[in-house]
Amino acid sequence: MSSETITLNPQLAWREIEGRVVVISPADSVVHELNETATFIWKQAESGRSVAEIADLLSLEFCVEPTQARSDTEELLRMLLQKGLVTS
Amino acid sequence: MYSSEQLGVSIGNVPLRLHIPEAELREKARLRYAQFLEEAQGGLPVFTTCAGATDDHGTGTSGHAGDFVYTWEDSSLRLNDTQAHFEGVRHEYGLDSLIRVLLSMLLARQRGFLLHAATVMNNGRAYVFTGKSGAGKSTIASLSPEGTVLTDEISLLKHVDGGWHAFGTPFWGEFRAEGANVHAPIAGLYFLSQASEDRVEKVSLRESIRAILPNVLFFSRELQVTQDLLCLLNEFASSVPCWRLFFRRKRSLWNVITA
Repeated sequence: MSSETITLNPQLAWREIEGRVVVISPADSVVHELNETATFIWKQAESGRSVAEIADLLSLEFCVEPTQARSDTEELLRMLLQKGLVTS
Repeated sequence: MYSSEQLGVSIGNVPLRLHIPEAELREKARLRYAQFLEEAQGGLPVFTTCAGATDDHGTGTSGHAGDFVYTWEDSSLRLNDTQAHFEGVRHEYGLDSLIRVLLSMLLARQRGFLLHAATVMNNGRAYVFTGKSGAGKSTIASLSPEGTVLTDEISLLKHVDGGWHAFGTPFWGEFRAEGANVHAPIAGLYFLSQASEDRVEKVSLRESIRAILPNVLFFSRELQVTQDLLCLLNEFASSVPCWRLFFRRKRSLWNVITA
């Protein structure tokens, strides 16, 4: 997964509000509010960064070990994938 | 002047020119929207056909690419840039429902939206109380001074003259009244929560938007329209104070609102 690039689902409306990304699915009006870490990952994914790059940036931003950052990044991306918010 | 089949209606400064060939439905609409009739020319033409009748003014609800189409029970709405069609309208309540949907779409182009909310005027300012069915909108209306309630069910909120205003609507719940075709700057938006005491709590921007979203009358599934709504609500909640109102079913609730 580390070299993969994640793409935000282009069918979703979203906006960053007070430091958190709020996502709405027009198809079913479901609203998702991302936490601080997921918001960070979302914004990096929007910039086209790979999973490995996102993990490195997460490590620096939140002062966590690189292995922990990679694990957290992959777990959150799996969650975002499951919810259909991003595609790989 | 309008032909005898036409009815000019303006709700929230959104003019509609209703073409209703059926005399009985037209008369009921005239009564229902008595406070919102507008005789001036103009407004979006809305061609209405009752159940079983044929639409002679367009292509029916099959529509064209790019049209907004919405179906409600056996009736439907089709909207394009120049006109709207209501088909299969059975009664004035059906007409009312389609007008709400139509307004929600038109308002989205005018920095406005419809919200499940009661609106009460106090000293020239509008207090908006939102919540799902059973939250207490009609209760708030019944606990407000006579003649001050603009609606107990659907509020029309729109950015005009540099600020957000609440407009009277003909859309009512249990607290039925004629409605008043007036508007006033919004003093605050209140999320209703029945409690054993009266108090208000400030609500953050993000929490406000999350609480507003489920109460917005919104029917589009288009990405751009949804994105625009999110931006509009962000703009709204950034400029209008939003509170959670804990209230008892007593008039004393007004003491904490206007304090």
